[in-house]
Amino acid sequence: MQDAQPQGQTALSVRWMIVPAVLMTLAMVVFPLAYAIRLSLGGPGGASVSTENFQRLASDPVFWSALRITFGLFGMALVMQLVLGTALALLLNRYDVVRGLVRTAILSPFMLPPVVVGMVAIVVLDPGLGAANWVLQALGLPPFLWLASPQWSLLVIALIDTWQWTPFVALIVLGGLQSLPGRVYEAAEIDGAVGIRRFWHITLPLLGPTLLTAAVLRSVDLLRFFDVIYITTQGGPGNSTTTLNIYAYKLGFDFMDVGYASALMIALATIVFGSVLFFASLRRKVAW
Amino acid sequence: MNDVRHPLLVKAAFSIGSLLFLFPIIWMALSSFKSPLDVTAYPPTLIFSPTLENFGELFGRTDFLHNTWNSFVVASGSTLLGLLLATPAAFAISWHRMSWPATVSLFARMAPGTLFLLPWFIMFSNIGLSGSFTALILAHAVITMPLALWILLPYFDGMPREVVESGQIDGCGGLSILVRIVIPMIYPGIIVATIMSFVFSWNYFLFALALSGFETKTAIVASFNFIGEGTTNWGALMAAATVIAIPPLVLTFIVQRWLVAGLSFGAVKG
Repeated sequence: MQDAQPQGQTALSVRWMIVPAVLMTLAMVVFPLAYAIRLSLGGPGGASVSTENFQRLASDPVFWSALRITFGLFGMALVMQLVLGTALALLLNRYDVVRGLVRTAILSPFMLPPVVVGMVAIVVLDPGLGAANWVLQALGLPPFLWLASPQWSLLVIALIDTWQWTPFVALIVLGGLQSLPGRVYEAAEIDGAVGIRRFWHITLPLLGPTLLTAAVLRSVDLLRFFDVIYITTQGGPGNSTTTLNIYAYKLGFDFMDVGYASALMIALATIVFGSVLFFASLRRKVAW
Repeated sequence: MNDVRHPLLVKAAFSIGSLLFLFPIIWMALSSFKSPLDVTAYPPTLIFSPTLENFGELFGRTDFLHNTWNSFVVASGSTLLGLLLATPAAFAISWHRMSWPATVSLFARMAPGTLFLLPWFIMFSNIGLSGSFTALILAHAVITMPLALWILLPYFDGMPREVVESGQIDGCGGLSILVRIVIPMIYPGIIVATIMSFVFSWNYFLFALALSGFETKTAIVASFNFIGEGTTNWGALMAAATVIAIPPLVLTFIVQRWLVAGLSFGAVKG
């Protein structure tokens, strides 16, 4: 598009067309956000403004455990998805197979409702009658408690999410791979860089910006993780899968502790926003 | 690297890999056709006589048909509302090259849904809309509107400016240019945005969990309640999961070419 206007023609202005979307955003996003901040600052017994809810956060052991669990899940799932997604993308790039059954297999998991994923996990990962333990036994391994295990339930949740989202990461990385300049590879070949060395010193650094994009997209979802946990473990066993989002939902809707839940959600929103800013600051480092 | 492997062998390996990867979805569909005895058999059976019992129970003994209809109403309503708001907005943003709306919608996209949920709950109660379709559709439009906007913007940006200006010469106003000239040109974008909005709204759990009432309960929330009821009937549960999974999977199938290209393209743009 060019900016030049035909002579004698008044410039077409369609700025007003954004107004309905802005009104919607004001009513459903900005106002509720301000309201949530107001709720979080509500003091006890009608005191107008108080930071009591935020002080309570600092001394709440469940908050700190939920914070650790949120970051634990985020770290485990993000690393697995980026590593496996990149590996899958390299395979898909090498063998041009993204069509038919393979394409369906790649797209289906992440377009599936997370609730359905959780429901299937309940049935497949049942410690007593689930198909997963049967597979383990067939391989001569001992059965596993899966989501019922206090130590491993978080890892199992991370694995479920990795199953669902690795293909998404792979598609993004595949796009990055296909846009890499071929000249670099020709030069590398002349220099004798092949196999692992070529991947490590050439492909991976060039993929930096793409991997960062994938990391940002997954981080935003992982830090707010809710659906699959709420369906399968509801934060248990104990508090072993109680993420910040799960804890805030329970506080707000099960215990009706509205002010405190709002404070928690504002803390989480700050964490999500902060991590996106962190990734944005990395962007310059990986640019080429 | 010398590639001596047979292309057919590669194809077979990828097909087997895909089937193994899809195992949970295949298992879900198979289980929905199993009798109560077969579905809890251990070791699990792959060979069984299929039955429609679970679907009969699901639609006959529970409100699931009504719940599925509710899901359809909410997803369609929020898709329509999202597109009605996003299409003109995308036109304005693209035509005037505004940059702030992208930042705003990105922030809204990052905020955790629970953050808005409590204020919405109180707001909707105060104006007598709690548990109504209106409340659910408005809440889901917060998902669909930015999604449609992000999908549509590249289509608007890719349209030649002269086309719009020629409409202006013909004396059309902004709105009629959008409806008569621009939309017919970018309709593939509208189709993709419609399908993706519907799928995202259909799949969304959290808002309906907190905001839906007894009469407006969506299929996803209803099936969550099946789990809570304790008497976990796996066959019926998998039948419910299968019913919920069908619309997104079928719709994804329609736009799969675009999805693959779109995701790769988005990454390249950074």
